[in-house]
Amino acid sequence: MTGASAQVLVVEDDAHLAAGVMENLRAEGYAVSVAPDGEQALAWLAAHSCALVVLDVMLPGADGLSVCRTLRERGNTTPVLFLTARGDPADRVRGLEAGGDDYLAKPFHLQEFLLRVRAILRRWDWYRSASATAATAMLRFGGNEVDFRAFRARSWNGESQELTEKEAMILKVLAEHAGHIVSREDLLERVWGYDVFPSTRTVDNFILRLRKRFEKDPANPQHFLTVWGVGYRFLTEGEP
Amino acid sequence: MKATRVFQLTALALVLVSAVQVGWWLFDQHTYTVEKVRALRAAYAEQAAAAQALLDSGVAAARVQQLLPSIVVSGQHAALAPQLAEALTTEEERRYRQYAWEGSFFLLALAACIAVIARALRAEAQVHEQQNSFLAMVSHQFKTPLASLQLSLETLALRAPGPEAARPLIDRMLADLARMEQMVTQILESARLERGRVDLRSEPLQLAGAVARVVAQLEERARQEQVSISSDIAPTLTVVSDPLALDVVVRNVLENALAAVQGASGGRIELTARATAREVELQVADSGVGFAPGDGAKLFQKFTRLRSGSGYYGTGLGLYIVRRLMELAHGRVSAHSEGLGKGASVRLTWRAAPHPGAAAQPSGQEMRT
Repeated sequence: MTGASAQVLVVEDDAHLAAGVMENLRAEGYAVSVAPDGEQALAWLAAHSCALVVLDVMLPGADGLSVCRTLRERGNTTPVLFLTARGDPADRVRGLEAGGDDYLAKPFHLQEFLLRVRAILRRWDWYRSASATAATAMLRFGGNEVDFRAFRARSWNGESQELTEKEAMILKVLAEHAGHIVSREDLLERVWGYDVFPSTRTVDNFILRLRKRFEKDPANPQHFLTVWGVGYRFLTEGEP
Repeated sequence: MKATRVFQLTALALVLVSAVQVGWWLFDQHTYTVEKVRALRAAYAEQAAAAQALLDSGVAAARVQQLLPSIVVSGQHAALAPQLAEALTTEEERRYRQYAWEGSFFLLALAACIAVIARALRAEAQVHEQQNSFLAMVSHQFKTPLASLQLSLETLALRAPGPEAARPLIDRMLADLARMEQMVTQILESARLERGRVDLRSEPLQLAGAVARVVAQLEERARQEQVSISSDIAPTLTVVSDPLALDVVVRNVLENALAAVQGASGGRIELTARATAREVELQVADSGVGFAPGDGAKLFQKFTRLRSGSGYYGTGLGLYIVRRLMELAHGRVSAHSEGLGKGASVRLTWRAAPHPGAAAQPSGQEMRT
């Protein structure tokens, strides 16, 4: 599902905005469907697959945040770009915590919107193509086994793990640069793009989660190493 | 605002401390009186006993009487003078009564102070909350058409479409502007109705004419949206209202009905009216989307939008304004629906003008709120 032919679902209750967004996405070559509320969006997503959901937060009935959460609970990892009239940092964080990929406050600039859509799709294209072959779809380290395509993993103690798309992406970036230092900024740029989060501490939280899942002793990591003041280094073999 | 609150809270604390102090003072005085009376009774008893001892030891009754004036000696028996015992009891009762009256007066006064301050604090918190939700609502209401306007303009700038393709964008922008203009008007109107003094005239008006004027203005829009509007109102019916208020009320109710029918993609709106003994009732029934039967009263509250989407942009103020204007005209308004998808009807009730023939004479009477 690359660029031009990608299917986008626009969930927006305002008919004018929905039409404007739809026309512009179509002009960029995307195939677009529109749902006026959360229930219809979830029904559509249950029957179709798409490359991106543009999701309004303030919707009649179930709001955008709960639609996104429901989607994630169903195991649907389709990227979500939130559009909302409320744009303060706390609202942004709420949106991203609900499983959104990006957040744009109304009124927004058309160019920026299109750029963000492209960026999200590019990140997912990269992730998919980086997990396309049998060799790249699986990652094995320290008795852990990660399946990037299924967003699943089995950790060293035999526990099976459901990865969120962000965890999987971070792991992918780190695995691609195994043995080398990856800065927090790089991780932010590769996984989230732009200035989505107010701080790089978010990345630290995700690394903590990955350590909890895959390290035998999360307090004394062997694979996800902190390089103080710079970022992280991932080792498949564990620290010598 | 903040200084007032600090002042109110300090006053509340002081009043509460005062109430506790008054309580303590009452308790203290009561205990003191009980002790005093007991001590006095004991002293009197001792005097009586001493008098008896003196009598028993042979002292003359007259001498005993002289030494202990509080004691009455009758024969060989000494006892406390009855008027003294009585005075003591009376004084005791008087004190208790005094404490009860004064104490309850002070406590009542303090309780009233507490109630007044607490009420003010609560009212302030309520106003604060209303302002917050009003701001949140207004900002959301404005940002949506603004976002749409910006998107359309940037689309024109980015894609430079030909006149044909630009037309729908321009129409959309004009509609967004109209929507914002309507919102500004309604917000100002509702703010004025809420706090300001609104001067409304109170004169007999012919209902059919007023309705016909509004219907004529909305007919074109109704035709485009495949909505038929029929009106059957006897020309003799006259209501007492302000002419502008009557126009606003009928227009808001009709626009609401249009939106409801539009949401159900086409249908009809029927206006009928009837007179009762002292009132005239206008019913606006539509075949639109309807609402849950319990939601009728909610419709007239500020910022209530039971339904959104489907291309209709309500501010949530239209029916609130209707209700306020009807209240000011000493009329009533109510909405009824059998349920979602089953249409709805709004009933407006005005006072009837006293003589149908007097419709042309304005009374010039003024209503103020």
